Amino acid sequence: MSSFKRKDPSKQSNLKSYEGTRVSPASSSTINTSTGISSLDDILGGGLPLSCSLVIAAPDLHSSYGELVQKYWVAEGLACGHRVCVIDDYAEDFLRDLMWYPKSALSVASGATSGGIKEKEGPLGSTFEDEEDEPTPTDRKVKIAWRYEQMKPFQTTVSTPSLTSENYCHVFDLTSRVPTPVVNEKLVSGKLSLLAPGNPNRTGGATMSALRQVEQVLQEQSTVPIRICIPSLGSPATWGDITPSNVLQFLHSLRGLLRKYPHGCASITLAPHLSSDNWSGSGWLQKVGWVTDASLTLAAFSADPALSATFPSHHGIVHITALPSPSTLVAPSDRFSTLRGLASSASGFGGSGENNLAFKCTRKRLIFETLHLDLDGGVSERRTSAPSSTAVELTTATGTSISASAAAKSHDHSQGTCNGHVSSGGPRIDIEFEGPAVPEEKKAVVAGELIAPSPQPETRPKKPKKKVAFFSDRPDVYDF
Amino acid sequence: MFSPFDIPSGAFTLITDELSAPADFLLHGAVNACLKEQATKARVPGLRAKPESGAGPMVLVLSSLVDLAKWKAVASKQNVNLTQHITNGTVKFVDVASTEGSEMVLSEAFNSVSEIIRSSSSEISERLVILDDVSTLEWIGFSPLDIMRFVRALRIACHKANWTFIVRYHVVTPNEVDEQLQQLLGICTYHLDVRPLYSGRSGAVSGEIALHLGAAARQDEVKLIKRSGSLQYRLLDTGPVYFQKGTSEGVL
Repeated sequence: MSSFKRKDPSKQSNLKSYEGTRVSPASSSTINTSTGISSLDDILGGGLPLSCSLVIAAPDLHSSYGELVQKYWVAEGLACGHRVCVIDDYAEDFLRDLMWYPKSALSVASGATSGGIKEKEGPLGSTFEDEEDEPTPTDRKVKIAWRYEQMKPFQTTVSTPSLTSENYCHVFDLTSRVPTPVVNEKLVSGKLSLLAPGNPNRTGGATMSALRQVEQVLQEQSTVPIRICIPSLGSPATWGDITPSNVLQFLHSLRGLLRKYPHGCASITLAPHLSSDNWSGSGWLQKVGWVTDASLTLAAFSADPALSATFPSHHGIVHITALPSPSTLVAPSDRFSTLRGLASSASGFGGSGENNLAFKCTRKRLIFETLHLDLDGGVSERRTSAPSSTAVELTTATGTSISASAAAKSHDHSQGTCNGHVSSGGPRIDIEFEGPAVPEEKKAVVAGELIAPSPQPETRPKKPKKKVAFFSDRPDVYDF
Repeated sequence: MFSPFDIPSGAFTLITDELSAPADFLLHGAVNACLKEQATKARVPGLRAKPESGAGPMVLVLSSLVDLAKWKAVASKQNVNLTQHITNGTVKFVDVASTEGSEMVLSEAFNSVSEIIRSSSSEISERLVILDDVSTLEWIGFSPLDIMRFVRALRIACHKANWTFIVRYHVVTPNEVDEQLQQLLGICTYHLDVRPLYSGRSGAVSGEIALHLGAAARQDEVKLIKRSGSLQYRLLDTGPVYFQKGTSEGVL
C-alpha cells in the first residue's frame, strides 16, 4: 500500500470562499474583490484583497473621477451580493447616480439565455460596439512582415470579461442608472447601509464616530464580505474641519480594524483639497500611502490645458503610490499586472521600467490604459525640418507631478530651452524661449520660415489648422 | 545577523526606507534569521537543547500595526513556522499604538517592554527588538518628544542587556532630513538606508541599500557600503537577492 495520501482539496485551504471574490494568483491565503473596473483590478494585481484599504486621491477640483471609482465600487458590491456600507452625509444622492448593467444586457437576461454576450473586440481592446473615436478596421487581413505575424495586436488595456461569465467584475454602463427598486430592496434587506459620520463641529469627532460605526458593521457578521465606501473623505460638509493627523489616524485605525475583521475591505476617495501632495507640508501622499494598503492618484487634465492637448485621448494620468501586498513581500501586482508591464520585463531582459498609466472616461465606462507618447511630430505629419527635442517628460512612480508647462521643465533638459510640442494640426513647431511669452503670430511666422525652405515664395505659409482649444501662451484674462 | 551586512549583534541599527522601496524584507529577514539561528544552535549537540520556558522571548516586535497574517505568511515562505514560535513564546508582538482612553503616551508600552527585557535570562545571546515605524507613531498623534524619549529609553535598556535593537523610519521627503530623523541618526550605531532607483520602478532591480556608520559607532568594525557603490537588490517572495550595483549576477 502506498504511503502517499492524496491531499483533500476541500481541506487544503482553510479560507472561507465568499461569493463574488477570487483567490489571488499570488497567494492562496489572499482573497480579491473586484473594484468594478477591470483595468483597475489589473493594476491592483487581480482586485482589492480583503482586509485591505484603497485610497484614491483626485486632486482636480473640477472633475469627479475619484467619486466615479467609488460608484463603481458600490455598484460592484451590490451586483456581487456583498454587504456595502457608504459613509457620507449625502449618500442618497450618491446612490441615485450609481451606474448599472447596460440596457441590452438587462433585456437579454430577462430572456433567460444561458450564454454571455460576446462583445466585439476593437483593435485597441475596447469592447463596446458604438464607442466613439475608435477606428473600426475595415480590412483585418493586413499584409505585414512575416516576423511580426505572431505578435498580438497592440493593446493599451485589458479586455473586459464577457457579461455573464462569473460573479466578478461585472460590466457596467455609465449611461444606465441603477433602478430604484434594486436600491430600496438592498436597503431594506440590510445589504446596503448608509452611515453619516456625525459630529462635524468637533474637530476629529467625525472620524472617531465613523470608526465606531465601521467597527459595529464589521462585528455584525462575517459570512459575506463587507465593502466600506467613503466617497469623499475630508469634504467639509460631511467631515468638518479635519486635520492631517485626524486623517492619518483614521486611515491607520481603519486598517487595523480591517486586519482584525479580515472579511472587510475599504475604498476611500480623498476630497480634492486633501489630494494634493503638499496639503500638510510635503510628502503628504507618501504618508497616506504608508498608512493604507493601496494608494493611487488620478490626476485629471482639466486644470492643465497643455497636458490635455498633448494627450488628447485621455483624461488624466494615474500615479501609483502604493499597492496591496497583504501576505507577500512582493506585491502581486508586480507579477501579474499586464497594464503595468513589470512582469513581462523581469524575466531575463534587463528589466525595463513600468508603463505609464492614464485613464479616460468614455460615454459608457471608465478605462485605465497604458499611456504612450505619439511619434514626435504626430503620426500624420511629414517631417520637413529638424525634429524638435524631446517632448514632454513623464515621471513614473516617484511621486513628482507631471507638468508640461515648459518653463519649469525646460531647465531640466540638457538640451536647453527647446521644447517640442506634439500637435495634431498642421505642421507647426513650437519653440519656447526663456524670456517673456512670444505672441502667437510671431511663432507661426517662425514656423513658416522653417517649414517652407523650398521655392514658391509667393504662397503664404500654410496656416496652422484652427484649434478650438485654450492656449495658455496668450495673455491670460486673469493677468492683472 | 543581517546577512550580507555583517552588523554585530547588540548594535542599534536605524533602517530608513521610502514608500517605493519599503524595508519590510529586512525586518522579516532579521527575525527569520534570528529564529533559524536559534533552531540551528538547538540542533547542535553540546549546546542547550531548547531555551527554557520563561527565558523570555528571543524576538520582540513592537509595531504600530501588528499584521500577524503577513508575518506568518512571509515567514512560511522562508521556512520558519512563526505560529509555533508565537505559541512557544519565542516571538512576541506588541502593539504600541493602542491607546487607553484618549491619552497618547508611550510610557505604558515602555514599561511592559522593559519588564520583558529585564526578566529575560541572559543565556541566549542573540536577542532582537524591532520597533517598526517610528514615523507612523508620529503621524497618528504621538508627540515627537515622547517618541524620542521612548526610543532612547529602549536603546539603553537593550544596550544593558545586549539585545540588538532595530528601528525603522519612513522617509517621506527624500531630499530633506527632518528633525526626528536627525535625532535618530545622532544616536544610532549603524544606518541602513534603503532607497528606490532614481529612475523609478524596474522589473529587475527593486531598490538599493547603503550602510552608513551612525554617530555612536566605532570605526573600522564593519564593512560599510557607500551610497555610490550601494548594494542593489531584487525582491522575490522568498526574500531579496542582492547584487552589486551595475552587475547582474544571478538576477538578469
